[in-house]
Amino acid sequence: MDQFIQLENFAKIAPYAKLFQQGVVVTVLLSVFTVAIGFCLALVLALMRMSNIRPFRALGLDENGHLRESGFLAAISKFNPLAFLATAYVEILRSTPVLVQIFIIYYGVFSVIELPTFQIFGFIKFNRFFPGVVALGMNSGAYLCEIIRAGIQSIDGGQTEASRSLGLSQAQTLRYIILPQALRNILPAIANEFVVIIKESAVTYTIGVQDIMSAVNAVKGATFVIIEPLMVATAVYFCLCFPTSKLIAYFERRMSHGSKR
Amino acid sequence: MAANDSMIQVTDLKKYYAGGAIKALDGVTIDINKGDVMAVIGPSGSGKSTFLRSLNLMEEPTGGAIVFNGVDITKKKYRDADGKLVKLDIDSLRQKMGMVFQHFNLFPHMTLLENMTLAPMKVKGISKEEAEKKALELLDRVGLKDRAGAYPIQLSGGQKQRVAIVRALAMEPEVMLFDEPTSALDPEMVGEVLDVMKELAQEGMTMVVVTHEMGFAREVSNRVLFMADGKLLEKGTPEDIFDHPQNPRLKDFLAKVL
Repeated sequence: MDQFIQLENFAKIAPYAKLFQQGVVVTVLLSVFTVAIGFCLALVLALMRMSNIRPFRALGLDENGHLRESGFLAAISKFNPLAFLATAYVEILRSTPVLVQIFIIYYGVFSVIELPTFQIFGFIKFNRFFPGVVALGMNSGAYLCEIIRAGIQSIDGGQTEASRSLGLSQAQTLRYIILPQALRNILPAIANEFVVIIKESAVTYTIGVQDIMSAVNAVKGATFVIIEPLMVATAVYFCLCFPTSKLIAYFERRMSHGSKR
Repeated sequence: MAANDSMIQVTDLKKYYAGGAIKALDGVTIDINKGDVMAVIGPSGSGKSTFLRSLNLMEEPTGGAIVFNGVDITKKKYRDADGKLVKLDIDSLRQKMGMVFQHFNLFPHMTLLENMTLAPMKVKGISKEEAEKKALELLDRVGLKDRAGAYPIQLSGGQKQRVAIVRALAMEPEVMLFDEPTSALDPEMVGEVLDVMKELAQEGMTMVVVTHEMGFAREVSNRVLFMADGKLLEKGTPEDIFDHPQNPRLKDFLAKVL
């Protein structure tokens, strides 16, 4: 009976080690850029969702300049288009498969927008890599938005009150009081998202991004060996994800000194 | 007191929730004069905290007027001296009203010194050196100068509240609002906070204090307000309120707490 894993097959795939090496670089870069884009997008989305920009606010005041308590005008005065847009974005991105999103970005958006065809480091095809980063970043932004929003809302309302009572503006309160505390609280969740992206980025091989999974496919095609390259990929993904989460846990412990409430 | 000593005039102040079904404040009218130490007492749910928090617009009133330094701050816009319509600058208003909270609300990610210098530097634009010098003087006043580099978590409740008081004082406010400043403290720490407040009162600071400390209300304040069900039921000197109460609700309340 054939063995599940055959050692001599590893010898067969050994000449393709370089493909895996390059795949690791692509996967790591993909994840770093994805989380960076995702975080910036998420911060904007979270602030939009929590903003208090109400174009019809004036309708909420009665003739004496006081706040209306209820009714149609009060409801309209509370409408916030920015929050509506951000909420719609988050809900749509979270309720559709990431594979579909990647295809739409690659075959849809970037068939209209022409991308240059240069290669980074001589092996990363920019016109495949960039759409992958954009699609994953947009997806990750939706999830990170909720994490950031939860982080901001977990900060006690008394902090805002104390800050505003000292005369600090809403923006200053956010910058100096709320965000520093919130970001510290959500660091584990962001680290977790980074690890999730390392794994999730595997789907970008479907649009020709040469990541670790794409190396598996290339080796399979060349040698007709499948299980062994998958074992290599499994080991590589584990070696990326496990130390990353441990490392971030370490920094998290170091950062939280002396500042718990 | 002379009329020109009046600092805040509150007229028929209302705060309704749920379209008027809940009346947290139901028509409160009172003048707060410069140098007043005003204690606000009453059973819980009487609206005294809502009243205090309305004064610096932590709560937006649904009706009535609060005139502070000649401007009705319940309106979004007002006419300035030249008759021009200008937008109410809520931040500059709050600078002039220090507030101390029941739960201290120190910023946990900052040292005491940073807690105290943030607003003077960012809001008033004072230099770091000057802000720190002032902060250390104030900390010294409440006996915590040697803890300037500590984080709030390293302090006791009483120490935290003393820092919260001087943090508000660092902005050099015209009036200080205290929202049950000793209610979250262990009994043995109440005294040290009240001592700071007493000192402040003796220096002539205008203070409005929502409190359950009847001893403080009687000894330190010059005026006492009794509130119940969102209404101001009785006001007067501490002697009037504590020795000659008129309103049956007040008599009932005093019988329970004294």
